[in-house]
Amino acid sequence: MKGLFKSKPRTPADVVRQTRDLLIYAQRTPDSRESKREEKMSELCKNIREMKSILYGNSESEPVSEACAQLTQEFFKENTLRLLIMCLPKLNLEARKDATQVVANLQRQQVQSKLIASDYLEANIDLMDILIQGYGNTDMALHYGAMLRECIRHQTVARYVLESEHMKKFFDYIQLPNFDIAADAAATFKELLTRHKSTVAEFLSKNYDWFFAEYNSKLLESSNYITRRQAVKLLGDILLDRSNSAVMTRYVSSRDNLRILMNLLRESSKSIQIEAFHVFKLFAANQNKPADIVSILVANRSKLLRLFADFKIDKEDEQFEADKAQVVREIAALEPKDHS
Amino acid sequence: MSTSSSHQENPEPKKVQFPLDSTAYQILDEIGFGVSAVVYKAICLPMNNTIVAIKSIDLDQSRADFDRIRRETKTLSLLSHPNILSAHCSFTVDRHLWVVMPFMSAGSLQSIMSSAFPDGLPETCIAIVLRETLKAMSYLHDQGHLHRDIKAGNILIDFNGSVKVADFGVSASVYEANSSGESSTRLNDVAGTPYWMAPEVIHSHNGYGCKADVWSFGITALELAHGGPPLSNLPPSKSLLLKITKRFRFSDYENLHDKNYKSKKFSKAFKDLVGCCLDQDPNKRPTAERLLRHSFFKNCRGLDFLVKNVLLGLPSVEERFKKTRALGGLMKGKGINAEDEEDEEDEEEDDEGSSARQRAKHRRISGWNFNEDEFDLDPVFPVRPLGDSAVKMVWFGGETIIQDRGGEWSESNPSSPGRVDEEAESENVGVMETEREAMAVGEHSENVGEIRGLLGGGGVDEEALVGALSGYVVGDLDREAIVGGLVAFIGSLDQQRQNVMTLLSVLRGVEAWEVSREEQMGQVIERLRVELENERERNFQLEMELEFLRIQISGVHSSTGAGID
Repeated sequence: MKGLFKSKPRTPADVVRQTRDLLIYAQRTPDSRESKREEKMSELCKNIREMKSILYGNSESEPVSEACAQLTQEFFKENTLRLLIMCLPKLNLEARKDATQVVANLQRQQVQSKLIASDYLEANIDLMDILIQGYGNTDMALHYGAMLRECIRHQTVARYVLESEHMKKFFDYIQLPNFDIAADAAATFKELLTRHKSTVAEFLSKNYDWFFAEYNSKLLESSNYITRRQAVKLLGDILLDRSNSAVMTRYVSSRDNLRILMNLLRESSKSIQIEAFHVFKLFAANQNKPADIVSILVANRSKLLRLFADFKIDKEDEQFEADKAQVVREIAALEPKDHS
Repeated sequence: MSTSSSHQENPEPKKVQFPLDSTAYQILDEIGFGVSAVVYKAICLPMNNTIVAIKSIDLDQSRADFDRIRRETKTLSLLSHPNILSAHCSFTVDRHLWVVMPFMSAGSLQSIMSSAFPDGLPETCIAIVLRETLKAMSYLHDQGHLHRDIKAGNILIDFNGSVKVADFGVSASVYEANSSGESSTRLNDVAGTPYWMAPEVIHSHNGYGCKADVWSFGITALELAHGGPPLSNLPPSKSLLLKITKRFRFSDYENLHDKNYKSKKFSKAFKDLVGCCLDQDPNKRPTAERLLRHSFFKNCRGLDFLVKNVLLGLPSVEERFKKTRALGGLMKGKGINAEDEEDEEDEEEDDEGSSARQRAKHRRISGWNFNEDEFDLDPVFPVRPLGDSAVKMVWFGGETIIQDRGGEWSESNPSSPGRVDEEAESENVGVMETEREAMAVGEHSENVGEIRGLLGGGGVDEEALVGALSGYVVGDLDREAIVGGLVAFIGSLDQQRQNVMTLLSVLRGVEAWEVSREEQMGQVIERLRVELENERERNFQLEMELEFLRIQISGVHSSTGAGID
């Protein structure tokens, strides 16, 4: 408050060091007689903001890469990230937001063309547990959620989260009543399942059974409109990704899955119908349909053909029309097979 | 920052948690609607019947924009400032997203003006409103957020006089936009409402920052002073959009004002404030923070002054909305693009003029093109969305000049300090093409400014002008007379054009302008080229995808069959 450090310009490393000292201070159980505490907390907030303006620049200047590198190096040299995450609930809203942006930015900073944040997180992977559990805390969810999404840009971190028990909790977080938090969790969930292709493919093949059982029952058959809509969209993204082709093949061979998708096709919501179509087409285009899939399609042939006859999207989309025509051809040409 | 000098153990005044369940709310009245949202006045039963506004967004209709909605509500829930309308909570109710917000009982300034101050607010009141708005902007900018849609329709007032900035539908955070690794404090996409849009926003390939909001703030100041933003009496009729290629000139209209209209006098401080906000160069515009220290806000009155002078006797938001409805709900508008989930206030406009403006809001401009001269603005309407392919140009003369909605000519704002006043006076008598003006054609056609105002054209035709008129419903004007006037006007246009071209080339050189037009077409072409390229790329990818799928699926043929009962 008194401009203690005005005398000489602080280096970015100084700012980090001072932040760290103040965080250690803040972490201690407060002594009510400490009159300085408020002052120190305010100093802490200022330092966090200072880090932010070094990393992002401000209205007067663009960020300087040398300064960013210095800051990043000092930040990860010691346990600053852990301290910051732990102390976040003690900061005021503005400082929380600043801290979140600082953490986000640091994930992308390279020092000597190395992402040192990734190394740090690998060694401190338990921090992800804290961040994920943040979804259970209304006040912290958006801050921790934003940090988490930045951290899973690192493949090793994403793999850890995917393979952890936390993955199951996302099915509930996505459906929290608070829209902001649910939407944030959904964005993280999507990122986990789409960003790192090989890791995702590996995860899905290893965890196919429980994952899609949960996915179908909790998300695709959810009573919540927005959950169904987002889930069917994401399912399409996952199955249409070529790295997940083995998973796709398996998914489109299941009659239960087909039944769920056909129900989604019948929804009154156009958005859901369209997204469901993009998954349904894979069942129809499968050149090696199992007999029970064929028999379902044959049994519902006329209904399906009628549905597709009226199936239009608002704006013209040649690809969509072509896909539709192909699906219609496939279904029209089906012959009932004998059950094997 | 400032407001919450919070204590560490109790970081924020604990936010009251509103129930996340629709049964806890009882809807009282509809108070606004937009393309895919309705706004209700409601009470929250378990919270002592607290009155709230609920914006109900139809998620199924806003298909493509789910991410934007998510960003908006997230932004809202992370902002905390007395001059920003934040959300109590948001949750989904079947296909709708309910955003529960404090109820601002006096509605938006735009709605207040169209109901009770069609010619604008008194300057003293404007000062109060602008000061409060600046506080909000200063907070936002400090946070790294741009509002991107500052305008009277998004400034809400409570009956106690408190002023809040609302509608973060298009707001953006500079901290989230930099994932692609470009310059971190700049944004690149076009957003906002055309009339209020800063030149660099429209030229968005150059990137823009907080100063774009300062521009919109300047336009908002003029809007409050005159009852409408510059250009707002341009009917947004399709034919106008499609046919007119025209340049408008706004100028010092003190000497042209209507006989029974008493020209408004604005203080020097006010004009100076607006002038510096509307500097073409974003870097020369002051920050919101600095504007708060502008002399215009010295001796600024308290909020109670606003209550006494603006709010007392005003019909309620509900009544105003009902009146609008009764008038036919004109603005139910086929919003040309559904991007604007209107906030409550946006829909509360209750005269035909503003409904026309309402529709105009949905139009997007793809760029402001600058002339070499200062304050020469040429907004370019994009060719793409639904064929709104008009290129329209606006020219604020050597000074920032604004046309009043009612047709009165406003006073100028000396914002070009280098200019000699007399010169400006004589030279900047501009004409905006409105009914009233058309009627005045006879008497003013010899006026240099007016002729020059029409110069941009080339493509002006009678039909378009008539079309323009019919798109703009005006109660007290004689259309016959207008059309007659216009026809006469057009007849002499070519000749005047010749004359004025000569005159112009003497006065300041026509080449500059011609060049700028070429430039502008060049930009449009460039934009289209990029789009085409993108489309090609996408097409290619889709084809690859399809090919891949074929291979996959025929691969399946040989490898599976097992695992199925």
